Amino acid sequence: MATVTAPTVPTGASRKPPKPRRRPLSTLDKVQRTLGYVLIGLLAIFCLVPFAWVVLSAVDANAGPNVQLPAPSFENFIQFFTNRGTPLLLVNSLIISVTATAINLALGLAGGYALARFRFRGRRAFMFGILLIRVVPAPATIVALYLIMVNIGLSNSLIGLIIVEAAFQLPVTLWLLAGTISAVPIELEEAAWMDGNSRLQAIWRIVLPLVGPGLGAAAMLSFMNVWGDFLTPLVLLQSTELYPLSIGLFRAFSEYNQVDWGLLAASAIVYLVPPAVLYIFVRKHLLRSSLGGAVKG
Amino acid sequence: MTSTLDAPVSAAATRPLPKRRRQRNGPLIALLLGPSVVLITLFIVLPAVYSIYLSLTNTQLTGFAARDPQFVGLDNFAYLLTNGDFLNSLGQTATFTFFSAIIGQTVLGMVAAILLSRPWLRGKGLFGAAVLMPMIVPEVVASLAWASVLSNNSEGTLNRLTGLFGADPTDWLQVVPLTSIIIVNIWRGVAFAMIMFQAALEDVPAELIEAARIDGASALQVFRHVTLPLIRGPVFLYLLLTTISTVGVFGLVYFLTQGGPGGQTRIAAIYIYERALQFSQIGIGSAASIILLVIVLILGIVYVRLAKVEV
Repeated sequence: MATVTAPTVPTGASRKPPKPRRRPLSTLDKVQRTLGYVLIGLLAIFCLVPFAWVVLSAVDANAGPNVQLPAPSFENFIQFFTNRGTPLLLVNSLIISVTATAINLALGLAGGYALARFRFRGRRAFMFGILLIRVVPAPATIVALYLIMVNIGLSNSLIGLIIVEAAFQLPVTLWLLAGTISAVPIELEEAAWMDGNSRLQAIWRIVLPLVGPGLGAAAMLSFMNVWGDFLTPLVLLQSTELYPLSIGLFRAFSEYNQVDWGLLAASAIVYLVPPAVLYIFVRKHLLRSSLGGAVKG
Repeated sequence: MTSTLDAPVSAAATRPLPKRRRQRNGPLIALLLGPSVVLITLFIVLPAVYSIYLSLTNTQLTGFAARDPQFVGLDNFAYLLTNGDFLNSLGQTATFTFFSAIIGQTVLGMVAAILLSRPWLRGKGLFGAAVLMPMIVPEVVASLAWASVLSNNSEGTLNRLTGLFGADPTDWLQVVPLTSIIIVNIWRGVAFAMIMFQAALEDVPAELIEAARIDGASALQVFRHVTLPLIRGPVFLYLLLTTISTVGVFGLVYFLTQGGPGGQTRIAAIYIYERALQFSQIGIGSAASIILLVIVLILGIVYVRLAKVEV
């Protein structure tokens, strides 16, 4: 975990301050508060207004490319789930994200345990390595990755994409779980060994139940990143029937002449609900963690 | 079993790691960590290394050179560093990163973090959630949302807004493409800056602020002379982190402009994608990747050094 040491307090300010007093609000305070509300209000509007079109058009029977008052109907969602093609996008997205997350967690848990519990040659170098790997921008390696996938026959396949996505998320998961597991006292495990459990049994019965929050955060980060990924499927998949939602939406949007705006907006809503719901669940945990940065593309 | 599970976990974090076990755990370590190492090596490290090799060849996906790629030494790099398109693309990446991440996200994120840390502010949850929305939606949805805002149509959201002030409808993505995507990226990144700064602000002792206020300092003076010096470290780390991740932005821009019009938004990530996968010049695309990678790795090493990471 990246800990940051704050610079030392400048001298002079360190003498004991008097107890805070309750003062009546001065005019200056009132002005400052009003200004504060105006600023944060404007910022909230700036952040939310772009969603207006997506939200309104999704429930609009005659949606167009612009914001307009909707003729309320769930027609678009019904279409999304009954059309040929669109449900497949959702299914593919789910298959890719869930499987990649599962693989990623299984490997991350095993690897994280090794990193947390053993001191071995190269451990430090490996930990720094996975931290540094996080900075590698995906566009910088995607070309070579594509050629490698073509050569090993895994391009244009869901299995290939799933393995790649699981691998991409491994550095963060390993880092997160290594930290979480080292916070579990080794004595608990030792007690389990004394009771006749094998090392693996002890992991299963003692460590796993205790690392729940860390595991949840890792699962959410991994799922959200895979779910939202655009570049990797864009490069690795060529067949329409393998497309996840990200590519499906992009293709639908790019067909300038015959865009079904309502369907597009409904698909976008279907696409954004899983990460939004997940985020709300694990938000507290994320805000506290310096790995919160991992949510950012 | 249950008795061990009931043991308090709270004290765990402070306990030092066991330093003893080094005895013949080799096979177990290999079994546990091996698969992760293989996957990371195969799909992250190997592509990076392979890019270095590719950048020294004239590999093509199609055409004459596709059959028999030749070693061309540093020709690709020489070509790129004298090529106007690529230099422009690096310049656009720098402009994009500087104005969206270093200026826009930082300033707005700081404003949001400070305001949300005010004890008198009501509705923190709602404001916070609003700011977070742009970050948690997938980037394709973010792009789609902005496509309607920036629509060239006179009914586009932004055109309606400027229309209120009597301006003519503008095709934003054609007329001011780089500015447009900078604003979109600011919008997407404010939440990340806000989260980082909120954490930093929490570590500033409230007594210091209070003392300065009682000594008669204005809110701005307090921020400039008390708060800012205290959170300088975290802010600097945030700047490095956001620079690194902004250099890798692809989908948001590609969805909206595909690098156009006339290459005005062809940031480095799009340049690489275009060259290698659309014009199938793998060698040149890889050389561009390596240049980008070197820049980012230097920033990354600085980050890891300064962050004083404990492993």
